[in-house]
Amino acid sequence: MPIRVLDQEIVSRIAAGEVVERPASVVKELVENSLDAGASQISIEVRGGGVSLIRVMDNGAGIPSGEAELAFDRYATSKIGSLDDLESILSLGFRGEALPSIAAVAQVDIVTRAADEPVGTYLSLRDGAVVNRESQGRSQGTTVTVKNLFRKVPARLKFLKSLATENSHIANIVSRYALAFPEVKFALFIDGRATLRTPGSGQLIDSIIEVYGLEVAQNILEIKDKGWESGTAVSSPLVTGMVGSPAISRSNRDYLSLFVNRRWTNSRLLAWAVEEAYHGLLMQGKHPVAVINISLSPNEVDVNIHPTKTEVKFQNEHAVFSAVQKAVRQALIKLMPVPKIEEVATIYGAPSVPRQGLPVSIGSDSGLTPSLSVAPPTPAVTLPALRILGQLLSSYIIAEGPDGLYLIDQHAAHERILFEKIKDQRLRQEIEVQGLLEPVTFEVNPKQEEVLKSHCENLAEFGFSIEPFGERTFLVRAVPALLSNKDWAEMVRGLLDSGGDKGDWVEKIAISIACHSAVKAGQVLTDDEMRELVRQLEQVAIPHTCPHGRPTMIRLSLGQLGKEFGRR
Amino acid sequence: MRLTCLQENLNRGLSVVGRAVATRTTLPITNNVLLATDQSRLKLAATNLEMAITCWIGAKVEEEGAITVPARLLTEFINSLPNDKVDISLPLQTKTLELKCARFEARISGVDAKDFPPIPKIEQGITTKVEVEALHWGITQVVFAAASEESRPVLTGVDAEFDGDLLTLAAADGFRLAVYKLSLATPVSQKTEVIIPARTLAELNRLMTDQEEAVEITVNPNKSQALFRLKNIELVSQLVQGTFPQYAQLIPQSYNTRVVVDVAQFLRATKTASIFARDGSGIVRLVIVPGGELTPGKMTISARSEEIGDDVGEIDAIVEGEEAKIAFNGKYLTDALGVLRETQVALETTNPSSPGVIRPVGVDNYIHVVMPMFVQW
Repeated sequence: MPIRVLDQEIVSRIAAGEVVERPASVVKELVENSLDAGASQISIEVRGGGVSLIRVMDNGAGIPSGEAELAFDRYATSKIGSLDDLESILSLGFRGEALPSIAAVAQVDIVTRAADEPVGTYLSLRDGAVVNRESQGRSQGTTVTVKNLFRKVPARLKFLKSLATENSHIANIVSRYALAFPEVKFALFIDGRATLRTPGSGQLIDSIIEVYGLEVAQNILEIKDKGWESGTAVSSPLVTGMVGSPAISRSNRDYLSLFVNRRWTNSRLLAWAVEEAYHGLLMQGKHPVAVINISLSPNEVDVNIHPTKTEVKFQNEHAVFSAVQKAVRQALIKLMPVPKIEEVATIYGAPSVPRQGLPVSIGSDSGLTPSLSVAPPTPAVTLPALRILGQLLSSYIIAEGPDGLYLIDQHAAHERILFEKIKDQRLRQEIEVQGLLEPVTFEVNPKQEEVLKSHCENLAEFGFSIEPFGERTFLVRAVPALLSNKDWAEMVRGLLDSGGDKGDWVEKIAISIACHSAVKAGQVLTDDEMRELVRQLEQVAIPHTCPHGRPTMIRLSLGQLGKEFGRR
Repeated sequence: MRLTCLQENLNRGLSVVGRAVATRTTLPITNNVLLATDQSRLKLAATNLEMAITCWIGAKVEEEGAITVPARLLTEFINSLPNDKVDISLPLQTKTLELKCARFEARISGVDAKDFPPIPKIEQGITTKVEVEALHWGITQVVFAAASEESRPVLTGVDAEFDGDLLTLAAADGFRLAVYKLSLATPVSQKTEVIIPARTLAELNRLMTDQEEAVEITVNPNKSQALFRLKNIELVSQLVQGTFPQYAQLIPQSYNTRVVVDVAQFLRATKTASIFARDGSGIVRLVIVPGGELTPGKMTISARSEEIGDDVGEIDAIVEGEEAKIAFNGKYLTDALGVLRETQVALETTNPSSPGVIRPVGVDNYIHVVMPMFVQW
């Protein structure tokens, strides 16, 4: 076959493939257009998984009658005008590819009216060409109807997943924008069923209630970035949003919504930064719930990597990473409430929704930030005063607090106390070391030997004096005082077996020492010991989880008790 | 089985064997106590398979027999009875023990005595006798130094070396070592070294409190079990198998500083400091300052904690050698000082990271070696 330039039709189909991958992509592009048009209400209707029908209606700016056809030309856009504009993109779209791409693979009808025009414009396109144009009445805004998506592209059609999957992708996309734009009223109808409806109140928490449900909303904490309050630091990344307390962790990352300048992204860097902030608070294999927006100057971020713009590149990745991680961590430590016992039975009827005056923290337009979060924690002290009632199964401490019954896992709690103490001692270089009367030989297998050799210094920082003593044998001269009456050899072996260079060894060692020296489940504690344990727990920075991420305590609220006993 | 005995005797006998009753076990019968007639006495026995205690009390036996019943139940019942005669009977072909005392009557369901684990008999082996008081002090001064943690089983026991008419008891837990020498009332025929579980010796110490006759110790020929015979009481224990560390080389032969202080003062100052050291690992710091020509030497005992505060105690001391600083786990000091009978004690140190040696002044049969803690001064 000779080399030749492809037909216009083929070119646009190929290009469309990049933008319109599945029905959800169409929804995304249209919703972005609506948002860019400044709509305060967006209604999305979907049928047949988006293949039969997608209709997006908004009350945005609308397209002036004279420009309507132009909108369907490739690379035609109102959003940027010059090359310089590319450097400072604040609108969601700018490439001018969405409408023509959609029109290339589906039948598109559009009704639009701009504010200063008496009557709206109706256009109907088939295979990217206008086949009908009429004047039609419409209130200000735009309605785009996409029918028979991919009918002419059987290859795409073949690769679409089940109806339910496509629907869930669409719901996902809409949910994310609903979270990013709490001031916009979203409504999503899938096959005639109202799936999502946000009030558009401008309160992020309201959107979270609609999208994630009440349980999540009750356990969500607000991020307050210090830079925001002081009004400085516009150049550095500003992190706002809400993060779930560790009590509502999820087993996948779907509940992690990250936005850069209110554009949804699936940046791994950001996801990692958030997860890193939860380090030690979540159990392994669990992922946090979070809605986070990073605002930064448009020239610091490049979104123009892929036509779908879900990937972003930061000029200063490190600064963004640490800003996110720090902001999330701070919110967690400051506000984390004690996890509550799951309700055993729920009485029918909607419980009152905590609609406190929560500010929209996403976006850069909200001014003041009153500081109440949804799950009311005690701000200054992280734990309330607890009165010890007794010990359960020789493993849990039962205590009474002002707001209910607390069950404390004695091992996890002690582990957390010791962990912080050990880390603190190490920082001050005041690790307490107990010398061994007689140096003990410590034999290891070849793999352990390698690990031990490379981490001898780390262990030394924690008080282990270990030196090589011939082949695969080491001589231990001193051990951390905390472990002096414990089986430290076993602990070191476990540590060496836990893997080579993975992870933070300093932390690993601290966790391991804490775990081995903490009281075990099954150990009977006297009242004084329990009181002391709780007192010390009150003083640690993060009392709610052990360093492995398991909770140290759960709470049965007065309300729940009353409810269970039928008192209210 | 039918017999009569006094509540007082039975109560005492049950409390003696009670300590050998198993608490957490997979063999339920070891929760029971064995009652058997033995000529004109009643034999009580309990075992946790590691240690067995047998005790004989006087009784008027009318009909022979044996049974086992739950130890705790029987002990609590007998303990609550008035001090009077107790009639015990086990009707033939039944497993229900009937007890009568004053106007109380009880029936306790038992388990056949044949199912009770046999209590080892040790008739041959190395035999010797030790005076109760000497053995009591020997055990008291070493047994606490044995390891409570089981990663090195030999250290959970007390090493006992019988050599001629000398018995050397030694215990160590990796951080401290206690060695006590005492003389035997009758010499052994051959040198023997065994490791006796610390728990056994602690129990033996308890049983010896109201005894006066010398204790007879027999180690069986393959050194797996030992028998301690007291008046009307026998304790049979498994021995810890293995080799006890060569501890002689761990005792420092020289020192740079030797300080002699009053035991009671030293103990009080250490206890006071330990209160402040409680938050950490119990670090107690000693600073030893030699005296001048006219001023006495002194030792300060201090502790500090980041959150709580600090404490310094000072005691007069006779100091030989140079100024010294050393830190110990306060518990190790109070443990050792608390069991001394003498009024003066010497502490010998070489440097802050070498073991300290505690020797009571006036006797040379006890040495306690403690490894210091390494701290920032």
